[in-house]
Amino acid sequence: MTSITNTVPAFGKYELAPHRRNMSILYPIVFILLLTISRYIFPNKMTLFIEVGIFAIYVMGNNVLMGYLGLVSFGQPFYLSVGAYSAALYLAHVGHSVYIAMALSIVAGIGLSLVFGPIFIRLRSSYFTLINAALCAMGLFMFEKLLIGVTNGNDGLWYRKKMNPTPILNLKNTSDFFLFTMIILFIILLIYRQIDRSALGAMFRGVRVNEKKMEFIGFNTFKIRWLGFGIASVLSTFAGSLYAINLAFVNPSLGENSRAIEVVVATLIGGVGSLYGGLFGALGFLGIKDIVSNFVSRWELIVGIITLVVLFKFSGGLWGVVSSITGRINRNKALTRIKEKSKMKKKVQ
Amino acid sequence: MDKWITAVIYGLGQGGILFLVSLALSIGYGLMRVVNMESMLYYTFGAYVSYTIMKVTGNFFFGALCAFGIGAILGFIVETQLLRRLYHKEMMFTVSATYSVFLIGIGFVQFIWGLNPKPVAMPIDKMVRIIGVSIPVYRVIVFIVAAVVYVLITLMLNRTIAGKAIMAGVDSRPQVEALGINVNKIFTVTFVIASGIAGLGGALNAPMMMVGPYMGFDMLLLSFITVIFGGLGSVKGTALSALIMGQVMSLGGTLWSPLAFIAPFLVMFIVILVRPNGLFGVKGASYAG
Repeated sequence: MTSITNTVPAFGKYELAPHRRNMSILYPIVFILLLTISRYIFPNKMTLFIEVGIFAIYVMGNNVLMGYLGLVSFGQPFYLSVGAYSAALYLAHVGHSVYIAMALSIVAGIGLSLVFGPIFIRLRSSYFTLINAALCAMGLFMFEKLLIGVTNGNDGLWYRKKMNPTPILNLKNTSDFFLFTMIILFIILLIYRQIDRSALGAMFRGVRVNEKKMEFIGFNTFKIRWLGFGIASVLSTFAGSLYAINLAFVNPSLGENSRAIEVVVATLIGGVGSLYGGLFGALGFLGIKDIVSNFVSRWELIVGIITLVVLFKFSGGLWGVVSSITGRINRNKALTRIKEKSKMKKKVQ
Repeated sequence: MDKWITAVIYGLGQGGILFLVSLALSIGYGLMRVVNMESMLYYTFGAYVSYTIMKVTGNFFFGALCAFGIGAILGFIVETQLLRRLYHKEMMFTVSATYSVFLIGIGFVQFIWGLNPKPVAMPIDKMVRIIGVSIPVYRVIVFIVAAVVYVLITLMLNRTIAGKAIMAGVDSRPQVEALGINVNKIFTVTFVIASGIAGLGGALNAPMMMVGPYMGFDMLLLSFITVIFGGLGSVKGTALSALIMGQVMSLGGTLWSPLAFIAPFLVMFIVILVRPNGLFGVKGASYAG
């Protein structure tokens, strides 16, 4: 068996590509700790850090589509706003529990992937991009005009008073919500890491690289893509519910078509198809936006230039840069170890 | 009844604009297999240049000519500097690269002209009454311009040697190159003409709406719908679908005003699911495998 896993590195359980070998569990712990510490160093930037946490989940959802399956979607705001509205409508009209609202958004994500998944994932990538854009426009219309009776249209829904305080971490409190976001992000990072290391992650990448070959080997590529689509939509809707609970306010502008590019650019900046690309993309994109908005009122020019540079020069994104540095450190360590060993041998001789 | 005839005329004008603007996208995909997200840049710049010229000289038609020129120049720069690097690249790469160029262009527009939308005066404000129905002359002129452009483009593609080389290059690029024809050069010329036409479309559309930095975003999706409905890479299909989409938007808007906004997307949704190759598209282009 070992010989097979050695010859087919992509499918072996432990034979991973060289740059993935040092993916120890320390990485997510360190990242989350760094984010938490930096929130206490810059106390007035807390809303930014909460947004980074939520946006990272959203970007990770898009990364499943873009990085693993090779499908670009310009309709991700639709999934986000469905999640936000499923949580917001529950809180505004039905109940008071925040956790049930989150669970509802996950159910909504599963429902969306069951309804739209089989239709969309047959399409080739450019059509997938555009049908999602069309869906996004129709969703915006639905929340803005058709369901105006329950969603209040552009005025939005406000429901902070209706949310019940929760034990241990009170989610109505912003600093508690920050800790909650970090915990959730950590759990999702662990699950994501598990997916990336497992055969499923290899299958996703296989579909992206050569779908026909995957079919030929005997995989049901339709199911693989559907599963990927499902994961992406659930992550997006869940991020939407976090937005809704954090702001205690939702209006249709969350699902605008023009915002679809944000998540795509963030995925690119972070590093397409990499494990921690989502986190780094969210941090990089929102950080750049935050810094740029101090100098220029509009961010399009800067973000456009950065994306072009990333595309042509750093195809691995921010995470690619970080992992190349850590990889170099590891390699240097290994080299010094080998040199020491050889010196020892010489001394013995 | 009068209402409906006027709506049809409005739809013709809208369809003309859609055709002019979508041509660069359609040709970009048909000839180079590049999904060209920044094709709306020419449209935006065309509208802004026509606004400036109109403000300085007061002559709208000179402004439209300059818009054609600026579209062509931008198209030349983008094609030679960017798109050539994107042939045979992954679709995700081309989409993101062209989109970021689009964002940079919008940034420049904001830098030069500011954020506030600018109004452009209607050059021909007349309404002609024919059999009791008032017809806006300007929309008819826009439609005629689009029709003339369509006739010229089809004549160029079907009657001249260069056009025939282009059509052959769409089918099989290596064979045309084997005949000793410089395909890159011909593609550049075609693309420059198409982007100039998109600039002209922007100039013609400027009086019918407010000129703003984000006008390209709205038009981008509409032109994608038009191109897909017509079939990627087919000029005839683009023209026909632009006509249909114009009517859908105009008549739908008359029926129930929110439909003007949502009807194109409904059409797009249905077209991609039911007939993804469009009216005149190549078979099997849309499905995986």
